[in-house]
Amino acid sequence: MTRPDHTGPKDADAPTDDLLRTDGGEHSDPPRGTITLPDEVELPRLLDFYDLQDPEHTRIHEFYDNLRAGSLTTTQCTDCDAIHFPPRVVCPECLSDDLTYTDLPHEGTLTSFTEVRGTAAIGMSDDPPFVVGVVDLGPVRLSARVDNATYDELETGDAVQLKVMDIDGPTEQDRVFYRFEPL
Amino acid sequence: MPHNAAIVGGGLTEWGERDATWKDLAQEAGKATFDDVDGIEPADVEGLFVGAVQPERFAFQSHVAPMVAELLGIDVNGMLARTELACASGQAALRYAWLAIAAGQLDVALVLGVEKMNIDREHMPEIQSNMTNVLDREFDGVNGLNGPSYFAQYAQRHMEEHGTTQEQLAMVSAKNKSLAAETDFAHYREHVDVDDVLDSYPIAPPLRLLDCSGITDGAAGVLVVSEEKAAELGVETAAYITGSGQSCMASNSVNNIPSMTTWPQAREASQQAYEQAGIEDPLEEIDVAEVHDCFSISEIIEYEQLGFAEEGEGGQFIEDGRSELDGDVAVNPRGGLLGCGHPLGATGVCQALEVYRQFAGDVSSARQVPDDPETGLIHNLSGSASVHSVMTLARDPQ
Ligand SMILES: [Zn+2]
Repeated sequence: MTRPDHTGPKDADAPTDDLLRTDGGEHSDPPRGTITLPDEVELPRLLDFYDLQDPEHTRIHEFYDNLRAGSLTTTQCTDCDAIHFPPRVVCPECLSDDLTYTDLPHEGTLTSFTEVRGTAAIGMSDDPPFVVGVVDLGPVRLSARVDNATYDELETGDAVQLKVMDIDGPTEQDRVFYRFEPL
Repeated sequence: MPHNAAIVGGGLTEWGERDATWKDLAQEAGKATFDDVDGIEPADVEGLFVGAVQPERFAFQSHVAPMVAELLGIDVNGMLARTELACASGQAALRYAWLAIAAGQLDVALVLGVEKMNIDREHMPEIQSNMTNVLDREFDGVNGLNGPSYFAQYAQRHMEEHGTTQEQLAMVSAKNKSLAAETDFAHYREHVDVDDVLDSYPIAPPLRLLDCSGITDGAAGVLVVSEEKAAELGVETAAYITGSGQSCMASNSVNNIPSMTTWPQAREASQQAYEQAGIEDPLEEIDVAEVHDCFSISEIIEYEQLGFAEEGEGGQFIEDGRSELDGDVAVNPRGGLLGCGHPLGATGVCQALEVYRQFAGDVSSARQVPDDPETGLIHNLSGSASVHSVMTLARDPQ
């Protein structure tokens, strides 16, 4: 394949008037129309940080079901005993897909933290300042928002406990997520 | 490697908050790249590799490699692809061009990194969403972690475990931003001193605003050719790719990254590259290093992991001036990400171009590494710093 030649007519006798006219002269105004766009769009599914948590949308729905019922859990491999976080459907240690949900401690240690004071993402842009940190639960380490505390009040090594958050909108689903707060 | 590959020139756009689209930036950098290299026209290019992280989110556009081919009139008949590896996408593109040439599949490749990141300021939450999804969005990004709030925690842990100080962090920013004042395309061109950094707003403590790189639009390109093609062109200066390594240690989310204090992946990636390049003492043998200073703390950890400083002594390394232009290794002479800004897909390409220009003596004298530098390194981390990519470069083929 060669690229189409867009360099214009090479034949000196070819009619070029219509192609090359620059005066705009003899054309009458073209017809005009209007394209109407919505003033706002709802939060699009893919800009919602929280996944749909039901069995029709995710195979780790049990993690969310357990959290909704008040337990923080994650997957453990029945073949090699590895504990994963985030929860999985395949064990990354041995590729087994025979996994069960195991309870995680609801109390842990804040190993690092900061405070988000700049602009935050869509869905959390009214939240700053807020504390986000890393919590060591023993079997796993996870990042989490830390509520009811400011940066200046916290120190690394502080004990924190689980807090279950119900997510209000924009779906009909009863969604949940976890945060922590000082013990 | 069976065939040596070399960078023989390149060009870039002005970097900053540009009144320009993704396509405009790609065209500007493409033109600048071809204008820089005598003897190579778009018709000579057999491979096209485009580093781009989020054109889908920032420019509502995917399949960008053929778009670049069309914009620059490149009739690719070898290989074309866009590479995405978050902040290391540009180096990833360069790495594939190198491999294709090393394998004897191509003689001439264009590597172009492009990122359009600034949409109007009123849409900053959307820009932040686009940055946050580089982490595991479901379990880490969801917590409001983004660049500053994630790397702030490395800073906190490094300070607690190794006694690194706020002043030492600020010294990195002051060095790089002041060098960027001498770089004609840089986003930030004002001289900055340590007190300026310390007086800036603690946007994600302990990190302050001037400890952070910016949100920048920009593009950069380089032409990579085989050693045979370089000889045919009769180029005066080339930057041969002598080694390239990567490591991710099967990690991406907070639970699985090996450490919240340091980056063993960077040590592993650099060791791979050093071994290929025959480098035994990087501090002694590398003249110019372009490292990924997305935040001031990053450069300090990188001194340690790239083998310039002992573990935990990165803060002392900057304090002792050993990474200055005339130090033991000149780190980030163009001003790094802190000074030039960080248009994600373009950064790695720009780092390689800077090393080439340092070899060629083709930079402002105020940022020229003294004594004719002959060896260089580029380093990028990406995402949660889970992945580290290192490439070594030299004036002469191996
Ligand atoms: Zn297993």
